[in-house]
Amino acid sequence: MSGQAVLMAMLPEHLLLLGLVVVILMAIAGSAARAALPVATVFVAAAALAAARLSFDGYAAAPFAGHLSVDPATLLAKALVLSLALPVLLMARDEFEGAEFPALLLSSLYGVGLMMSADSFPTLFLGLEIMSLPVYVLVLLAYQRAQSAEAALKYLVLGGTATAMFLMGVSLLYGPSGSMKFATFGNALSAADPMARAAAVLVILAFFLKAAIVPFHAWAPDAYEGASVPVTAYMAVIVKAGVLLAAVRVFGGASLSAPLLQLMVALPLLSIVWGNLAAMRQPSLRRMIAYSSIAHAGYLFYALLGAPQGRLQAVTFYLLAYGLLNLLVFAALPAAADDRQRDRLDNLKGLFHRSPFAALMIGIAMLSLAGIPPFPGFVAKFMIFRNVIAAGYTTYAVLGLVGSYLGIYFYLRVIQFMFMSPDAAVQAAPPRRLALGASLACLAATLWLSLLPGWLISRL
Amino acid sequence: MFDATLLNIVLFLPLLGAGLLLVSPAAHDDFTRRLTLVLMTLQFALTAWLYLRFDSTTAGLQFATRLPWIETWGVHYHVGLDGFNILLVMLTAFLGPLVTAGAFGAITKDVKLFYAMVLLIQFAMMGTFLAQDLFLFYVFWETMLIPMFLMIGIWGGERRIYATLKFVLYTAFGSILMLAALIYLVWTLQATTGIVSFDFAELMKLRLPFDVQRWLLAAFALSFAIKVPMAPLHTWLPDAHVEAPTAGSVILAGVLLKMGTYGFMKLGFPLFPDATQAFTPVLMTLAVVSIVYGACLALVQDDIKKIIAYSSISHLGYVMLGLLSLELVGIQGAVIQMVSHGLVAAGLFLMVGMIYERCHSRELAAYGGLAKLLPVYSVFFMILTLASVGLPTTSGFTGEFLVLLGAFKAAWVQYRVGASSLPLVLAVVAVSGVVLGALYMLRFALSFLFGTTKAPHTGGHALSDLNLREKTILGLIVAAVFALGLFPDEPMRKTELAAKAYRQLVLTPRLSGGSP
Repeated sequence: MSGQAVLMAMLPEHLLLLGLVVVILMAIAGSAARAALPVATVFVAAAALAAARLSFDGYAAAPFAGHLSVDPATLLAKALVLSLALPVLLMARDEFEGAEFPALLLSSLYGVGLMMSADSFPTLFLGLEIMSLPVYVLVLLAYQRAQSAEAALKYLVLGGTATAMFLMGVSLLYGPSGSMKFATFGNALSAADPMARAAAVLVILAFFLKAAIVPFHAWAPDAYEGASVPVTAYMAVIVKAGVLLAAVRVFGGASLSAPLLQLMVALPLLSIVWGNLAAMRQPSLRRMIAYSSIAHAGYLFYALLGAPQGRLQAVTFYLLAYGLLNLLVFAALPAAADDRQRDRLDNLKGLFHRSPFAALMIGIAMLSLAGIPPFPGFVAKFMIFRNVIAAGYTTYAVLGLVGSYLGIYFYLRVIQFMFMSPDAAVQAAPPRRLALGASLACLAATLWLSLLPGWLISRL
Repeated sequence: MFDATLLNIVLFLPLLGAGLLLVSPAAHDDFTRRLTLVLMTLQFALTAWLYLRFDSTTAGLQFATRLPWIETWGVHYHVGLDGFNILLVMLTAFLGPLVTAGAFGAITKDVKLFYAMVLLIQFAMMGTFLAQDLFLFYVFWETMLIPMFLMIGIWGGERRIYATLKFVLYTAFGSILMLAALIYLVWTLQATTGIVSFDFAELMKLRLPFDVQRWLLAAFALSFAIKVPMAPLHTWLPDAHVEAPTAGSVILAGVLLKMGTYGFMKLGFPLFPDATQAFTPVLMTLAVVSIVYGACLALVQDDIKKIIAYSSISHLGYVMLGLLSLELVGIQGAVIQMVSHGLVAAGLFLMVGMIYERCHSRELAAYGGLAKLLPVYSVFFMILTLASVGLPTTSGFTGEFLVLLGAFKAAWVQYRVGASSLPLVLAVVAVSGVVLGALYMLRFALSFLFGTTKAPHTGGHALSDLNLREKTILGLIVAAVFALGLFPDEPMRKTELAAKAYRQLVLTPRLSGGSP
């Protein structure tokens, strides 16, 4: 372990940590009220740039061999995930003041960074907890309704359950092998030994719980609905990205085989179907997005069916597209009298006549989430199902695609509300500048991914 | 090179226009209308130039552009004109300005969004016809859904939400299975030959076992058959047509439905020749069922839009019959029939729109004796009716006659060698469709134009005959109908080599392993 490698390989994390320290110092000095958020934004941007720069330089290192390593592909994924946090920070300007939000967000992002470079279970566990603990607080931060407390508690308890399952699984893996490396999980996947299999199942279920896969999804709609808009966006986009990218690392080069293969197909498929069906009847936008994200988690786990070398690429691209579109929806969401009203889908009725740009942006996001070309959601889905078919699971791919068909209706329903319904009696609120900036940035990135997806794909 | 650039301009001109309209907040409604008309006319002029430059003696693509798009997957931006698409591209470009001008009076709400959608759908349709890469084709194919969804949903009639959701959910179901088949097909190409490509030309060389061909054809055929639409997958069409605004109906009937038959001709059948051969009796039966069933339903409708909608199902059945006959005349007849139906149905829907703007009713019973009230209108209507029936000298005759000739030729050969008498029976039944066609169209014209003079809800105004704009639109369509009916030689020469290539592709077995 050389000092330089420790410095360079974890440069993005170091920058986040530095940002966290600065924000805390500002809070102590009493100057955090307005300035903490911009400072945090600058540090996150710097961390993303650092990761991108290292990636383009082809930097690869393992400062703590066997526990933590980076390579260009991981760094690029990290850069993309960190840049997805920028719109969240921009959106937060209208909701949060003070140092709490930026501090919690920075520390959570640190955990995401750690998870994405982990090579062993202790590192992953650290990352997972550093990421999750601040989010439990964030859900409750500046809460505007009574259910927020309930949602946060539910999230905390279920998150704790996931942690417990994860640790139980890891200890069962450690017992016979004496190793904490991810490779033990790969071996356990194909082992016939019941204990190894139980260990693998526990770890997989912990991931499923964290990513809200049916039947472990019940916390997601409540937590999403209870949290404020930027926090919901953070959970839907970045927490999910952290969990999935960590899952890709844990699975590593292992291929799936029966009987765990069935588990890895059945539950994600169930998520796709149930998420898409349940989303149809939600009156709340955030609950709808929650169910949509349950379905999307299903597609993302489908990516693990593909050949190992294509997984990271497919998952990263999918997360980027999916993240951008969710952020686009949240950033473009018009302001309203109170949070509850803002969250109602009915509030979107006739939006095109009140603010056409917001309606167009949300419309594009919905079409893209539904996987309708030429938007990036289609290319992302295409990539996953291409890998699944290439791995020989044609039937599963067809089932997944048919499941995704079920989702088209509720995305179109949002467009129907915005463009085809008479105006809801809603007072037009003045547009918020930073949120508008965030939505325009997301829109630009979305259009760029629609027109030239090849540029990114060839680099991932 | 110059012409290739021109073809790209033809493709992207509407997209440019749509983008301009969507981002310019201040554009006045009249300005919007004029801008759209100018862009569409320009597109048609450029397309006509390319049509004249198109060399009918060379097979394959002309004016092609091929650029890498998603390189790692072998996806290319590959567009070009060939004998398969030239007439349909011409038809699309021809209808563009007419649709635009036709909606001048009818659309007064959200004008900018409306014309942006018209331009977008024009872009997507052009792209679908021009694409020579399966990925690109699929992207354009799906993109067509979005503007159509909005067009029916925003400017449609009372049950517009139901109709537009039905339209999208029907078509998207076909597409999703086509997507699975497409991925499988391209993956197989890569696995068996090592070529990573979505190019039509590469995929046509692929050999597949019969079992695989059967499934893939089923997936592609489902998607295309929904779009055509063939019975029993047609139920979205009447709803979509009835609820859509005139421009939507015209685009649907004029171009969108041809996507299905074009898909069969360009991709579905040539990609899977052995499965096509095996399924020909089933598909042919469905085609003939569509002809007769569509005609029978058209015979009993009270809603004038529905009559034309069901007649579309019947007319496109002929196209399928011609394509499946695998006789050169039949295939060429199918292509002519596609264009002819595009012109005639578009004209009829425009005329229905014109009378609807005046009287606000689509009930057949509400009208009568329009020949006395609106003489010019009635002349145009009668001409289009006769073209729809297939009167010689109109395009309808050329198409139907050649298709039936092809069907009989093929059937007779099969009958003589004792292979099967089914094609002959089907061809005979298909002819009855012509009689039924005359029956429902003439019944329509009879109670519409003649008989007791009735005209509902004019709101106190005297019923005014066609104005100059409307006369120009219909005049152009009628001119095209006669041109195609009297001088079909030139367009048929342009498509002849493609028709031969299609026939060759479908007749040459391309099996690998297994046997039927």
